[in-house]
Amino acid sequence: MSEIRHYLSVFGYYAKLAIQRQLEYPLFLVSWLIMIPTQYFAGIWMLRIIVDRFQPLEGWAFDDLAFLYGLGLLSHGLVVVFFIPTWGTETAVIRGEFDRLLLRPLNVFFQFVTGYFNFIGLIDLIPGVVIFLYAAHAVDFSWEAGNIAKLILVVIGGLFIRGSLYTIVGAVAFWTKRSRNLIGMSVATLERTTMYPLTLYPHVVQAVLTFLFPIGFISFYPAESFLGKPASLELPLDMAIWTLVAGIICMVVAYSIFRLGLRRYESAGS
Amino acid sequence: MAIIEVKDLIKEFVVVRKKTGLGNAIRSLVLPEKKIVRGVDGLSFDIEQGDIVGYIGPNGAGKSTTIKMLTGILYPTAGSIRVCGLSPQKERKAVVRQLGVVFGQRTQLYWDLRLGETFELLKRIYRIEDKRFKATLDMLNDVLRIQDFIDTPVRQLSLGQRMRGDLAASMIHEPTVLFLDEPTIGLDADAKHAIRGFIRTMNRERRMTVVLTTHDLDDVEQLCSRLLVVNHGRLVEDGPLDSIVGKLAPHRLLVIELSETAQAPEHARAKILRQDGLKVWYQFDKTAISASELISDLSGMLPIRDLSVQEPDIEDAIREVYRTTG
Repeated sequence: MSEIRHYLSVFGYYAKLAIQRQLEYPLFLVSWLIMIPTQYFAGIWMLRIIVDRFQPLEGWAFDDLAFLYGLGLLSHGLVVVFFIPTWGTETAVIRGEFDRLLLRPLNVFFQFVTGYFNFIGLIDLIPGVVIFLYAAHAVDFSWEAGNIAKLILVVIGGLFIRGSLYTIVGAVAFWTKRSRNLIGMSVATLERTTMYPLTLYPHVVQAVLTFLFPIGFISFYPAESFLGKPASLELPLDMAIWTLVAGIICMVVAYSIFRLGLRRYESAGS
Repeated sequence: MAIIEVKDLIKEFVVVRKKTGLGNAIRSLVLPEKKIVRGVDGLSFDIEQGDIVGYIGPNGAGKSTTIKMLTGILYPTAGSIRVCGLSPQKERKAVVRQLGVVFGQRTQLYWDLRLGETFELLKRIYRIEDKRFKATLDMLNDVLRIQDFIDTPVRQLSLGQRMRGDLAASMIHEPTVLFLDEPTIGLDADAKHAIRGFIRTMNRERRMTVVLTTHDLDDVEQLCSRLLVVNHGRLVEDGPLDSIVGKLAPHRLLVIELSETAQAPEHARAKILRQDGLKVWYQFDKTAISASELISDLSGMLPIRDLSVQEPDIEDAIREVYRTTG
């Protein structure tokens, strides 16, 4: 218990320092405030065009798609706040930044991930929240306690699935010294695979995105369940619980791979 | 019991040999020519509590690699390490709590923020009580004078101030062993003086063990009671500075300035290196004859106006170690 309090107090101070550091560069903040929402609103606009010009995708109307997209963006926004250091694993390995973390009597993965609380990333949440609120209204999502609880489970599970994917891909740098390009690919892949109904993809891809990299649990399966569509994946219990379970399993795997990589860490020069 | 025990330590790195040209680049992609290089090759030594030990050697001798293994950053390929009786790899958290580590070329301070913020963070990481934290900070301030710039952003500190800040940061949790990797690199005389003073004070008042790597032999001369000299990952000398220098460069020089021209006489236990006008250089072995004996012998035979005894140059002696073991 005192261990948890200890880690929380360190996390709190890390977050305070990170916010202070980011406030040192206000112009940078403003540029993100303009860039990020533009990017995602452009994304939803594309969806609108696709659905308008053609027909609803696999029986998903625009409002359904907006709900799917918005739901996915919620955990995306949080991953950018909480897991952004994993995107820079390559740099940290090359520059020997794990040296200092290894010299402190705390878990290294904890220090690495919480060491930079990216509060600018909250900007990433803005489009997610706007699009989700719009879509929730459009599809008559009922804001009752049960649904809200499920929504929270889905967002947390989605955060874990995304976070562990970035952790694993970033940790590749422990072996190859390179992982930044892979991270770029993962960001793009995650965006595409959480934006459209999974059933659009061939069965093999669906299987991979369900069992190997359970990206389907981030937004597609829960959205199906929230929208009352026929379930593509039959499971006992509620889909929200499975999203959280998938997230926790992913996190355990990711943490093990990170630790394995850290053992291979070679530090840098002098 | 020694506070640091190192036995048969080995660290190997895999190096891929690269050749020039596109053809070779493609070949090395398919069939990389891997070579195993031993950065550290069978080191054994003990360090007692309260010692200040200089760990020196030419660039690439394996100094930093050793320090990184002793502090739990790197895993050794073979051999055993005990720091405060524990393995830094197996019990990293327990060991690093006892260690302070400063890398002269890198900082652990938050670049964008005032110096004090890093101390506050460390206070939480090491779970230091308010009272203790304040007392340590006061003590560090007495020696390092950090109060003057504790509210300045680290990016605006001079190199000397930053190094004092880094030293203070490494001492906040009152470690029993301090590892310093080139702590005086790039500093001016004043800052070097302050840092050496700090190391001496901590060692004297807290019996803190210090392991210091450096290329600055003044650091070694002024601080270290014992020297470990490594080259190519092997220990090549171990002992007090005097005895290493004495062993490698036993000769001293007696320089005599004559008041009038005279033929310098031979001496049985000293060799005339050269004579140039009114100056004569005698080389002698201090174990064979003392300077005063030689002077009294010569003073009867030569019109001496002035004289000086030159100690062997440490720099030369150390260079000699590197050369002969290279």
